[in-house]
Amino acid sequence: MASSSTSLKRREQPTTRDGDQLIVTPLGAGSEVGRSCVYMSFRGKNILFDCGIHPAYSGMAALPYFDEIDPSTIDVLLITHFHIDHAASLPYFLEKTTFNGRVFMTHATKAIYKLLLTDYVKVSKVSVEDMLFDEQDINKSMDKIEVIDFHQTVEVNGIKFWCYTAGHVLGAAMFMVDIAGVRILYTGDYSREEDRHLRAAELPQFSPDICIIESTSGVQLHQSRHIREKRFTDVIHSTVAQGGRVLIPAFALGRAQELLLILDEYWANHPDLNNIPIYYASPLAKKCMAVYQTYILSMNDRIRNQFANSNPFVFKHILPLNSIDDFSDVGPCVVMATPGGLQSGLSRQLFDSWCSDKKNACIIPGYMVEGTLAKTIINEPKEVTLMNGLTAPLNMQVHYISFSAHADYAQTSTFLKELMPPNIILVHGEANEMMRLKQKLFTEFPDGNTRIMTPKNCESVEMYFNSEKLAKTIGRLAEKTPDVGDSVSGILVKKGFTYQIMAPDELHVFSQLSTATVTQRITIPFAGAFGVIKHRLEKIFESVESSTDEESGLPALKVHERVTVKQESEKHISLQWSSDPISDMVSDSIVALVLNISREVPKIVVEEEDAVKSEEENGKKVEKVIYALLVSLFGDVKLGENGKLVIRVDGNVAQLDKESGEVESEHSGLKERIRVAFERIRSAVKPIPLSASS
Amino acid sequence: MGTSVQVTPLCGVYNENPLSYLVSVDGFNFLIDCGWNDLFDTSLLEPLSRVASTIDAVLLSHPDTLHLGALPYAMKQLGLSAPVYATEPVHRLGLLTMYDQFLSRKQVSDFDLFTLDDIDNAFQNVIRLTYSQNYHLPGKGEGIVIAPHVAGHMLGGSIWRITKDGEDVIYAVDYNHRKERHLNGTVLQSFVRPAVLITDAYHALYTNQTARQQRDKEFLDTISKHLEVGGNVLLPVDTAGRVLELLLILEQHWSQRGFSFPIYFLTYVSSSTIDYVKSFLEWMSDSISKSFETSRDNAFLLRHVTLLINKTDLDNAPPGPKVVLASMGSLEAGFARDIFVEWANDPRNLVLFTETGQFGTLARMLQSSPPPKFVKVTMSKRVPLAGEELIAYEEEQNRLKREEALRASLVKEEEIKASHGSDDNSSEPMVIDTKTTHDAVGSHGPAYKDILIDGFVPPSSSVAPMFPFFDNACEWDEFGEVINPDDYVIKDEDMDRGAMHTGGDVDGRLDEATASLMLDTRPSKVISNELIVTVSCSLVKMDYEGRSDGRSIKSMIAHVSPLKLVLVHAIAEATEHLKQHCLNNICPHVYAPQIEETVDVTSDLCAYKVQLSEKLMSNVIFKKLGDSEVAWVDSEVGKTESDMRSLQPMAGAASPHKPVLVGDLKIADFKQFLSSKGVQVEFAGGGALRCGEYVTLRKVGPTGQKGGASGPQQILIEGPLCEDYYKIRDYLYSQFYLL
Repeated sequence: MASSSTSLKRREQPTTRDGDQLIVTPLGAGSEVGRSCVYMSFRGKNILFDCGIHPAYSGMAALPYFDEIDPSTIDVLLITHFHIDHAASLPYFLEKTTFNGRVFMTHATKAIYKLLLTDYVKVSKVSVEDMLFDEQDINKSMDKIEVIDFHQTVEVNGIKFWCYTAGHVLGAAMFMVDIAGVRILYTGDYSREEDRHLRAAELPQFSPDICIIESTSGVQLHQSRHIREKRFTDVIHSTVAQGGRVLIPAFALGRAQELLLILDEYWANHPDLNNIPIYYASPLAKKCMAVYQTYILSMNDRIRNQFANSNPFVFKHILPLNSIDDFSDVGPCVVMATPGGLQSGLSRQLFDSWCSDKKNACIIPGYMVEGTLAKTIINEPKEVTLMNGLTAPLNMQVHYISFSAHADYAQTSTFLKELMPPNIILVHGEANEMMRLKQKLFTEFPDGNTRIMTPKNCESVEMYFNSEKLAKTIGRLAEKTPDVGDSVSGILVKKGFTYQIMAPDELHVFSQLSTATVTQRITIPFAGAFGVIKHRLEKIFESVESSTDEESGLPALKVHERVTVKQESEKHISLQWSSDPISDMVSDSIVALVLNISREVPKIVVEEEDAVKSEEENGKKVEKVIYALLVSLFGDVKLGENGKLVIRVDGNVAQLDKESGEVESEHSGLKERIRVAFERIRSAVKPIPLSASS
Repeated sequence: MGTSVQVTPLCGVYNENPLSYLVSVDGFNFLIDCGWNDLFDTSLLEPLSRVASTIDAVLLSHPDTLHLGALPYAMKQLGLSAPVYATEPVHRLGLLTMYDQFLSRKQVSDFDLFTLDDIDNAFQNVIRLTYSQNYHLPGKGEGIVIAPHVAGHMLGGSIWRITKDGEDVIYAVDYNHRKERHLNGTVLQSFVRPAVLITDAYHALYTNQTARQQRDKEFLDTISKHLEVGGNVLLPVDTAGRVLELLLILEQHWSQRGFSFPIYFLTYVSSSTIDYVKSFLEWMSDSISKSFETSRDNAFLLRHVTLLINKTDLDNAPPGPKVVLASMGSLEAGFARDIFVEWANDPRNLVLFTETGQFGTLARMLQSSPPPKFVKVTMSKRVPLAGEELIAYEEEQNRLKREEALRASLVKEEEIKASHGSDDNSSEPMVIDTKTTHDAVGSHGPAYKDILIDGFVPPSSSVAPMFPFFDNACEWDEFGEVINPDDYVIKDEDMDRGAMHTGGDVDGRLDEATASLMLDTRPSKVISNELIVTVSCSLVKMDYEGRSDGRSIKSMIAHVSPLKLVLVHAIAEATEHLKQHCLNNICPHVYAPQIEETVDVTSDLCAYKVQLSEKLMSNVIFKKLGDSEVAWVDSEVGKTESDMRSLQPMAGAASPHKPVLVGDLKIADFKQFLSSKGVQVEFAGGGALRCGEYVTLRKVGPTGQKGGASGPQQILIEGPLCEDYYKIRDYLYSQFYLL
């Protein structure tokens, strides 16, 4: 027991160090945009934020680097919002890996997640052979996803977390995680600007220790919303007035709803445009309306007020368009189509047929991921490659009017200044933008107390939190508040990351645990006189009290105040005691003694001689054992003068008094170690302390 | 010592009166619930009126009159001004409930306890929380965290947890542990060992709750039986609480059976209620939110229920058997009362009560057994004034107006005099200063106007008439006139507001009828007449109250096993019964205070905080037991740099302690364990376990205790000296941790 615990201790020293280490590793979205996935580990708890897919890649290449981690160790997976680059690898992660933790997202996110991914599977069927998951996987994943409401605190294995409104899209959340008092904020995509239907991201009540923040917009500043809206409507108005067509490639959900609200309102205010159709070519649109209508609680007051009168999401001027076959391309029109990146599908088909006419226009309404066609045409190349492989001149006007609800530099810096997190980790941004942002943020936080990190994918950021462990002493133990130097002994109960110290008999009062006492009663056949037993016991044990049993009037003995020996009948005696290691040992020796008496009465004298001899031998043996154990622990142990042991470790010398256990050394660490080690060795070789029997 | 906690009931103890309790935590006064009954008896609020101004926060638990009805009145008349905390549905549905109450009253009486504006004002500043949101109170309540948790019973219904310094005070009334169609069951059982539990004994004596399926079957059978013979069915319901469950049951049943009988839901706010409820899916049961997530089926898109907001629509409905759900459940007011009077004398009709009526109301009278044959009902209605009355009214109004005008002009004259008085000092009379500050114009505006209106009536004083003059008391410094920069700030035109302000205000969301009633300023009066109503229709009562029954309440409390328990809201017998039960079985500190009797439930728990030093912790080896880990520590108190107590390892050898066996042995589980190890094991008499041939094992000491309140377990193992004995002892030891 003692030796095993010492060896345990040796291993424990480094693990406690590990226990205070917090690791953040982006598995995706580290110095890139797309496939958001950030792994975090602290005190043996593992959390994954987001589980996205890179829209510019396909198949396994689009996944985050899941092989960097062991999915089965993840306790909690938190999804911030429903966008493909934040949620789309979830079915894969849930169904195709060993992950068996719990997944949380908001109500609205969950409702749209299913629609969006089902659509994603359908759309990508055209271009991708190696499907990561199918519709069935999505349906199965729905059962595993749990919902969390904004501000609701959930606790899983001692990890506490809750979420704040993030703006960005319907149901988008920022997660605050609290592990043993260390708080980590993961913003996901957020926006601090209120728009037509969403609230601005909230400012958390508490400052986090670490803020993992998106940096999509880098150091850019957004134009004011009204200017953007005006540019947007002006471009559309002038294009359709000249008989051109406007293509707006957009993600099916999220910003599209905002743009539709703008367009619908603009059309309503300009009756001259009413003969020009607006199409929203997303079969998802209709399905999602129910979701938008239901979760008005997640939207801003403006929508909630409008909702009181009529549903603002019932558009009057916008027609649904299911496929290109239903579309008669006869004159000026506005088409909003998916996918947003012009990778394939309807938006690409329309782009291919309209791109060479200079009357037409294409409006890129938000951030585009590197590697997509939409990103390419923002730079207005002379030619573009069509889906059929041919090249065509790019004559249509391309406008980039960002409606992406990502925080811009002004928002990010004020947000961070208000939170003042000591550690900032930038994710979800292109490497160059991110570096610029980092540089600029450094100038904002010149005091040097803020660390700003930009890890690449699979690059770990390590931090140490030497968080204090606080315990609450309760109940009888706390009746008197102790002064320095007093001793406190009791049961330490750890639940999650909270500690309580209490007296053992109050364990059942303050915790759900209970204590037990086990009384043992054992009968031994013994035909001799009871006095013999008494005599023999007195020779071995220091304390033997005789009494008589009150009920039967038979003689009884109490050995070491622990074990009662009673004569039950002529042929039996009984032993009764309450279990604990020492009593068990005492009772075992009594049993052995009783059995010996009945067997070998005449040998008493011989045994006594043996006993004396063996005592001396024992003494020597004990010394040997102690010496050997010390050598095994410390190496260089020599018997010095005046009977003390001299121990040398790494040039430090310590002297150990074998009798008293006192250690003298210059090096306090070594002194402490030797003292503890010797304490344990001694308790192993001399298990019954003398004081226990007195 | 622990956090000081006092509980003072203000209403609703030893009877079924509305709920209202004052809970003071370390001097911070919470008013938990602020209920009133359907009779709006102001005498019930007297205790509240005495403490209203000292209240620091109001917590609301359910969106019905009994839990929040007095809020508008208390805010308006009693000086209650504390912030109110509630969940979003409790706020919204509570608001609608109060609208419905007001409109029902206003229609039939000169109701003046509060107005729609008072309701709006009361609910305007409700701070809305979500379930399990730990809200840190600001200001005076620093350090107190409040959180609503799922209670069941009604949409948004909450159990409140108030935490200070790690000690929990839990307020749980009218909870339902059973899952219902639209609600999840309560999470009360997830709280263990709170310092104080305040709960109701309302259903303590009610035990024979029928199973849901059977009850639903009876419910629907009763309804369809009456419909099939051509009768009408009236369900008196609340405005926005339990009625939701009934609607779902009917809706579901109607689609299954393909019934064509119309269902009407008639309250002044029915359509708003359902509109809002449709957007509260995240507060409902898992199955409802799941069905929405997967197929976007909103359970409250009611296909078979017609929402009506005035009775004319019902009267105009095609004749034939129908089901009507109408408020109020007490039959004291609202459409339900009118319909009852109309339908009561037809034996084919059915009035189906789904909850026990409030004490002293018509509904309660009708629920008595045997039901009364006749009831005396005072029916009132509001009629427009006509003929002489109208003329008299108008004259009266004119007279009032004149008096008002006279008084106003007198006041104005005084004011003018006053301003003239101040002018006397001015050396430059009759100079009209065009640069008067905004402020001056603002305050003198009305006076100016009055002069124009009143003409040049010679004031009673001798001061000659003159144009009003305002002294421009501007200050100068070396840079010129001192200005207030705010006056020159160009008001941010705020395109947002401009563009966004399209909808009506959210609180004023009323149905048209309501609006017309509000706007209807035609002079009217209330006439009442007493009727004797012959009750020949069937009267049936079924339990759709959505509260846990007596047995569940007991096991729930036993599971929670609070250190101290306060019982409220039940008739004396039920309170006494539950009190005795809890005293005997659960905890020794049970209180059932009278109205305005303050009980001190400060826990006598001693506690202090210490820091666990790294050195100590590196020597502690934890053993895992369920969700917790335990270890024995021997330590010495030291100080940290921040002068906090810290536990350090003992300098000397620790004095040995009595070993403790930690663990919970269940004899049945242990039996299974032994047999899995190949030991022949069977139950002998008296709860003893016979293991192998000779060894017996039994629990001794006090038995029959439930919950975690029991003391240490006593286990006795006995047998003759044999190998089996030691083997079984080892197995027994393996069930425990030795510390």
